[in-house]
Amino acid sequence: MKGPTRLAFAALGAVMGLMAGAAVAQDPVTIGYSIARTGIYAAAAPSQENSYKLWQTQVNAEGGLLLPGGERRPVEFVSYDDQSNPANTVRIYEKLITQDKVDLLAAPWGTPMHLALAPVLQRFKMPMVGNTAASVQLRTVAPGYIWFPTSAIPDAMGAELAKMMKANGVTSAALLANELPYSQEFRSFLIPALEEAGIEVKVDESYPPDIKDMTSMLVQVRDAAPDAVVAMTYPADAFLFAGQAKELGLKAPFVLSLIGPTIDAYRKANGTAVNGIVSSAHWSAQADKWPKGRPFFDAYVSAFGEEPDALDSALSYMSMEILQQAVAKAGLDPEALREAIATGSFDTINGEVRFEGVQNVVTPTGFVQIQDGKIELVWPESVKTADYAPKQGW
Amino acid sequence: MRLGSALWIALAGFGAAVPFFGSTYLMGVVFQVAMWIALAQSWSMLSATTGYLSLGHAVFYGVGAYVCVLLTGIIPFEFAILAAAGSAALFAALIGLPVLRVRGPYFVILTYGLSELVRHVVMRIESALGSFGRMIFDVPAQEVLLWWMVGLAVLATLGAYAIRHSRFGAGLAAIREDEVAAQTIGVPVTRLKLLAFIASAAIPGAVGGLALLRTSYFEPAQAFDPVISFTIVTMALVGGTDSVRGPILGAMGFALLSELLWSTLPQLYMIVLGLTLIVFVLFVPRGLSGLVGRIGGAR
Repeated sequence: MKGPTRLAFAALGAVMGLMAGAAVAQDPVTIGYSIARTGIYAAAAPSQENSYKLWQTQVNAEGGLLLPGGERRPVEFVSYDDQSNPANTVRIYEKLITQDKVDLLAAPWGTPMHLALAPVLQRFKMPMVGNTAASVQLRTVAPGYIWFPTSAIPDAMGAELAKMMKANGVTSAALLANELPYSQEFRSFLIPALEEAGIEVKVDESYPPDIKDMTSMLVQVRDAAPDAVVAMTYPADAFLFAGQAKELGLKAPFVLSLIGPTIDAYRKANGTAVNGIVSSAHWSAQADKWPKGRPFFDAYVSAFGEEPDALDSALSYMSMEILQQAVAKAGLDPEALREAIATGSFDTINGEVRFEGVQNVVTPTGFVQIQDGKIELVWPESVKTADYAPKQGW
Repeated sequence: MRLGSALWIALAGFGAAVPFFGSTYLMGVVFQVAMWIALAQSWSMLSATTGYLSLGHAVFYGVGAYVCVLLTGIIPFEFAILAAAGSAALFAALIGLPVLRVRGPYFVILTYGLSELVRHVVMRIESALGSFGRMIFDVPAQEVLLWWMVGLAVLATLGAYAIRHSRFGAGLAAIREDEVAAQTIGVPVTRLKLLAFIASAAIPGAVGGLALLRTSYFEPAQAFDPVISFTIVTMALVGGTDSVRGPILGAMGFALLSELLWSTLPQLYMIVLGLTLIVFVLFVPRGLSGLVGRIGGAR
């Protein structure tokens, strides 16, 4: 028993010694975050963490994070697995702030994690720019130490989608919704918006998150023959929906799948079958309006061998750009940084971002469509990179 | 035994005193450990004594959390916690009679299935109400929640101890050994089982309420997460089910180990945790409690 224990301690000592050595050599800026490496959100997290890593590589290649005095310091991440559990997220950020004493914070993945964190940030007066969170509930968060750059908020999305459908001649729709909160929230705002736009809802079904077979629901949809199918999917069931809709040969010209289609693997797995699918995002690499977008896209592809997710990867990268610009102006002092984020205007891959309260008030709510395997912004008119085209079979 | 009791009292005292000298992080750890002790100990009131292995204790935790989130802001939080415990106990009383009719693997499956059923029902109710996760503002201070949780751990331990050393506990043990024989000699098996079920449900209800206030965010899929049930059973088995100290040792050992691992080996901790579990199941079948007993005996 003694031999192995001693060996283990010796090894641990050596590792800690190395880590301490590295810390002394340069004085890095530490940025802490938790991420869902395991659990139900694990599939979605890499698109976020990759953006963080890309940003870190780029900043360090420039000589480090720029501080107000012109000094540059390298960036180092401290991260933990939150197991897709908001209770763990709370404890991890408390540890990051009080034990690890990180200089800055980056956001975890998902709405529940962000919402659970708001009181913690308030308590320790540590600012954090959020990213992968979207819910009308964000507006109930007291403004202070957290901000949400997304414009994919369900109430605005419901209204915009109904407008877009009406503009493209849709008169009837079938709705399929995952039971998870984001889908249900979107559904609750979409139904009245459709009614108002005079679009008839022919099918309205909800399904459990771990669904394995959608055949019976899709047969019902096929028989109702609506102009539009709005599938309020999460990434896992987005794949199932695409596969089975193709098998059953859904004919509707307007097909939306809420979360999933913007992930690179979705297009790789489904090929040309998913051309024409509409999805939720407010960024596209194709947009000339946002000159930073294309370089980000290319750098991401060369670093990870896959395209960034137009929603999560883009938002995550934006959140780091905002943090970077705020630090360059205000430094690392939490109060000064909070002030800089709350009042500043930021130049990101998605254009200008400015916050009023907790929300980004510049980026318009949009929808994208897969066209020839590319993600094109097709709504709204002011930012679109291509015209919406009805789906031509699977 | 006396030394043992002193040790446990010192431990509870340490937990309650942490806010005066410990960091926020340490308070978080103690809260977590106390929470798992309370849950594992409550579970043992039914499952260790009668041998009816419940794989659905997350349902009581979830019911408690749900009741608490509905009542917070309407009544003071202390009463919301009590209501959470009461509702979980009431729920156990309502479902107890039919559920406790089945035994062995069927009981395990039924409790698990029931917990999943309630989870989906609450998800549907919430989405029908147009609520998509609920936030709580103005939660009590962290130390107050910590004291409540340590109190619940102590209460659960005392409860488990009292049950094991009472006539009630003897009746439950008789059920575990041979239910038919117990019934034949006049043990009121149905009543005893139901009481044990209710007793083991109340504290998890309160724990669910407190954990909710700590996270300040309610979402049904998280509150009724089956992983909670699995973790409770794992901890009780790692600790050993044939004494009151078993669940404490199991919960402490497991919670501290997982804390140590995720914070020091963030990339590897799940693998290490899994290996530890396999080693325990294969080589330490009587759990930590049995191991401690054996070392003590050898001395």
